[in-house]
Amino acid sequence: AEELRLSHQWSNQDIRNQVAQMVADEVAAADVDLEIKIFGSQSLFKAREQYTPLSRGQLDMTVLPLSYAGGQQPAYNLTLMPGLVKNHDHAARMNESPFMAALEDKMAEDDVMVLVHGYLAGGFAGKEGCITSPSDIDGLQTRAAGKAFEQMLAGAGASIASMASSEIYNAMQTGVLDAANTSSSSFVSYRIYEQVACYTPASDVALWFMYQPMLMNKSTFEALNEDQQAALLAAAENAQAYYLAEAKKEDAASAEVFRDAGVEIAEMSQADFDAWRALAQETSYARFVEETPDGQALLDLALAVE
Amino acid sequence: MDPLVLSGLVALFTIIVLFSGVSVAIGLLIVSAGFLIVFDGTRSLELMPEILFGKLDNFALLSIPMFIIMGSSIASTRAGADLYEALERWLTRVPGGLVISNLGACALFAAMSGSSPATCAAIGKMGIPEMRKRGYPDGVAAGSIAAGGTLGILIPPSVTMIVYGIATESSIGRLFLAGVFPGLMLVGLFMVWSLYSTAKSGDRALLNTRAYTWREKFEILPRVIPFLMIIVGVLYSMYGGIATPSETAAVGALLCLLVAMVIYKLWNPRDLWVVLRDSTKESVMILFIIAAAGVFSYMLSSLFITQSIAAWIAELDVNRWWLMAAINVFLLIAGFFLPPVAVILMAAPILLPVIVTAGFDPIWFAVVLTINMEIGLISPPVGLNLYVINGIAPDIPLKTILLGSLPYVACMVLAIFLLCLFPGIATWLPDYVMGAAR
Amino acid sequence: MTGHHDAVASNTGNNPFLKIVAALSTVAGWVSSAMIVVAVGVTCQMIFVRFVLNQSTIWQTEMVIYLVIAATLIGLPYVQRLRGHVNVDLIPLLLPKRARFYLSILTLSMSIAIMAVMLWYGYEFWHFAWDRGWKSDTVWGVRLWIPYLSLPVGLGLLLLQLIADLVAIVLKIDQPFGLEDN
Ligand code: NA
Ligand code: NA
Repeated sequence: AEELRLSHQWSNQDIRNQVAQMVADEVAAADVDLEIKIFGSQSLFKAREQYTPLSRGQLDMTVLPLSYAGGQQPAYNLTLMPGLVKNHDHAARMNESPFMAALEDKMAEDDVMVLVHGYLAGGFAGKEGCITSPSDIDGLQTRAAGKAFEQMLAGAGASIASMASSEIYNAMQTGVLDAANTSSSSFVSYRIYEQVACYTPASDVALWFMYQPMLMNKSTFEALNEDQQAALLAAAENAQAYYLAEAKKEDAASAEVFRDAGVEIAEMSQADFDAWRALAQETSYARFVEETPDGQALLDLALAVE
Repeated sequence: MDPLVLSGLVALFTIIVLFSGVSVAIGLLIVSAGFLIVFDGTRSLELMPEILFGKLDNFALLSIPMFIIMGSSIASTRAGADLYEALERWLTRVPGGLVISNLGACALFAAMSGSSPATCAAIGKMGIPEMRKRGYPDGVAAGSIAAGGTLGILIPPSVTMIVYGIATESSIGRLFLAGVFPGLMLVGLFMVWSLYSTAKSGDRALLNTRAYTWREKFEILPRVIPFLMIIVGVLYSMYGGIATPSETAAVGALLCLLVAMVIYKLWNPRDLWVVLRDSTKESVMILFIIAAAGVFSYMLSSLFITQSIAAWIAELDVNRWWLMAAINVFLLIAGFFLPPVAVILMAAPILLPVIVTAGFDPIWFAVVLTINMEIGLISPPVGLNLYVINGIAPDIPLKTILLGSLPYVACMVLAIFLLCLFPGIATWLPDYVMGAAR
Repeated sequence: MTGHHDAVASNTGNNPFLKIVAALSTVAGWVSSAMIVVAVGVTCQMIFVRFVLNQSTIWQTEMVIYLVIAATLIGLPYVQRLRGHVNVDLIPLLLPKRARFYLSILTLSMSIAIMAVMLWYGYEFWHFAWDRGWKSDTVWGVRLWIPYLSLPVGLGLLLLQLIADLVAIVLKIDQPFGLEDN
């Protein structure tokens, strides 16, 4: 059987692995002489080193936060931009919009295509208190996930400390860090609830959404026969529905874990959200437009999604 | 091809290539390239430099050159001599006091250095000639220093613990703490053996060493204070919220360089260059092995060997202690031939899932693994500490050094048994300081 | 025993090629050491900025990572010259002089071949990043061809030093595996 290699950075229990496994299983069941071999937990490539081999055809598939490749295609930075996506249903509409079509054109330049769209959300955690509005983060040593968030939080007066998400736990424990912003799943898998007083998960309004699609090398896809392509696309469609449903559950599940650990759960109000977004407009949005060719047009496309 | 047959082939070729005398890092690259071309086509070959670079792209690796600079800057001063002299003045009534002092000095020095050869060199330079002068047998003089030097990678800071932490995504702060009590236990076992063997030899000369006055005993204490300050400073920085363990290494390096320059007047650029040159040499050697072992593990994973071996061991369904025994024998043999970092990087991805499935604590296992690697450091053909001893005392034949080290190897094996019986020796301190295991 | 000798450089005799390569490797060693020292300084500065001034640290982590990578790659030829890369020389020690000579030619040739391959693809990777104007995905956004440059430079200089080592052995200026006759 023809073999495709899929690399990702997550553990077996992670939804992103389940999405990949689902596609692999359905393709195998379709009996089109095609097998997807999954290399999880960074066992083949490190997280940030997957996009380049994917684009050069040395890796066939991956499930990856697209913003990791923001240094190669600045447009991708829009896929981890504060306040651009409001909730999971809005994210689903994003996936079908002209904005996503424009991003897919950028991916095509690198010989990359999307099989499964998907967004995951995240929140904030504070060692001493809750972080809901910009004034809460002023003067705190903060680890943020993503460049645009670093810019916005710095604009709110936070001091940014960069470190791997695996170091957050230790850094919070010893007091190097006062606050952190990352995905719901990282908050749980790194057991940050043991170190913080308050958690602000993604709920009805949320600031932090990260686009994490399943990608494939375009030439590799086109080299498959019609049956194989059809099987892959059919599997991808089912996986996308599953991904959305699970992504919604994950935020509530993370809040549950924190609550069970005795951590206070805070909620971001619409007014908080608007304040963050106004700040983002001056900081991260402005920087994005500055350093991205046709950045304003892309940002407008993203903001136009209802 | 069946992945298990393939893994046999890889093992065979790796042994042949490494035994040809090519350097370990380049040998790993040669084997990787060979298997990637044959079983994966050229597209994987193209990736090799990118993977090499990527394996070094990790902030925690900074601590390797830093902890090595700590050791080599202090080693270039009289510090090692001061340390063991202070201990000797206080332990003078103890039979075999000089060996005990040297072992104690090794342990203290290990708390400032991340590497074993550096620890061995720092104490051995003064310790070995002094012991021989006072009538200790060559075997005891060389063997105790060779073994004491290995504590460099068990007592924190430790280069190999950092590498293990990176390879297995374990907390480096936790790993460091886990090495403290096993390190002290090992020093204790080494001392007990030394006392016993000196007493048994019945050589009165070893029992009656020079008597020191109280004045002499207190006079030397100020010379030990800078080291205690460095150790406390590093610990405070690491566990007191100033810096992460990787960043702390830089503070330690700076502190040690300052102490060497200010207190020991290491001003001469030529002397400073020697410190830097030796640190650069050891760091680059280790980091190149880390990068090349990364390419090697890419090859193992890409050919599905890692996954197949792990699945195969998991299915064996043997008693977990038999499994642990088999793993220890494997590590011991690998340690005879390969430097510790290479063993850790090649074995950790395969062994870790097996260890965890069998219900062993990965932090505890790091300590067992490290003691295994310490044995490898004093056994031929690649025993870095043996080479250091050989450099200090070229007239002691290798056979004598080896026979002298043998009892200390037995102490290390005993330590592994004790750790299996009482895992708390390793896990209690990290759990106490950093909260229960994750 | 072990192939790890105390900063004993390989012999160059009076051969001008060997001398030039040795000089290049030595300069690379200085550069490598300097980078490690700068990395110490930058890390301490970062801790100061964060802990004492409580301000953001934007570029330090990334800078230190690239310095350590570059120090490693650019240090390779120097460490090769000092015979600092550990090897297992059990078999070479057991072999008679003539066989040891041929074995060292074989291992050096294999090393040269693999480094030539690595240099080729390393250069290609660097050129790719340069050509496409890649940056790192951080606020600092460093142009990646700069840190990637250490790949072709370091691997190229190591290749050169390996070739020099081979030449020295073929011309009998240096001993195979750096082992003395015994
Ligand atoms: Na140590
Ligand atoms: Na050994």
